[in-house]
Amino acid sequence: MVLTHTTNHTYSHPFPTVTLAYFLRYCSPKLNPFAAHVLSTDTIEQRVDPATGRLHTTRLHLKKSRLPPAVFKLLPVSITGGGAPDKASYVLETSVVDMREGWMTTESRNLNFVGVLSVVEKQTYTLPEASSPKTGGTTDVETSVVFKSRLGERIRDKLGEKAQQHVQEDGWLARFGSRGIQRTIESLASTKTQDQLGKSREGMSMILERLRHTGIIGVLEHRRAASAPTTK
Amino acid sequence: MSQSLAKECNEAKERYDTCFLKWYSEKYLRGIGSLENNECSELFKQYSKCLQGPLKERGIDKMLVEAREDNKENDALYLGRKK
Repeated sequence: MVLTHTTNHTYSHPFPTVTLAYFLRYCSPKLNPFAAHVLSTDTIEQRVDPATGRLHTTRLHLKKSRLPPAVFKLLPVSITGGGAPDKASYVLETSVVDMREGWMTTESRNLNFVGVLSVVEKQTYTLPEASSPKTGGTTDVETSVVFKSRLGERIRDKLGEKAQQHVQEDGWLARFGSRGIQRTIESLASTKTQDQLGKSREGMSMILERLRHTGIIGVLEHRRAASAPTTK
Repeated sequence: MSQSLAKECNEAKERYDTCFLKWYSEKYLRGIGSLENNECSELFKQYSKCLQGPLKERGIDKMLVEAREDNKENDALYLGRKK
């Protein structure tokens, strides 16, 4: 069972700045309050391909799990481990920036909980069409998110074919059968993601505005101030 | 720049991130300089070395391998044979 969700957006900022903002977006919750759920960010790999000049980056983020409690309760203990719904999720982010041709592609996917729900978000940032009246000052981005839940398969294996059939035949009970749960998980995740994509965009916009006003040095200074020890 | 998943690597990470961001905005975005043998390479080596242990401890290296395999499977399934 797969659900795909695609959106398009245009930032009123030049392409190079948008790519910089992408790398900065989890910098600090003070810079981007919409990223407060990000617990850590690490760069695992980073290199420039000498032939193409492209920058390849792999990062690992740790985020507070936003698996909806409603979904969590539907899951068997064998999958959740009987824990609380606030387990952290690991997200792998890979990106390629091509400054010569003027594009960037990114992909983010969760590394754990994939048995329950796999979410793969892909984005392509590009310069606007040459024929468009607004060139040089804007950046287009297309985002597609693919939700895949394999929960049904695992439950099916456990229940066995016969039991599965019985569950599907009965009208209202079918909603709680494995396919029903799978669909529910995917559609809940999809709805949440629409909100989340909006927040991601707002976060990016905040960083872009700050870059416009203070430049990268200003942002780096802010980071230093933000990470200074505070009394808690 | 946010924290590292391993507290002991925060400093190394901070140094690398600052170096990378400066290099990225001042050089790469203007079409100059490669990441090879530049001022940030040494910092990245130190940071990377620090992360090795914690990544293994948390089983992330295994998750990365699984994700890459899953990636290939998905691409083959949804995009048709590519690469």
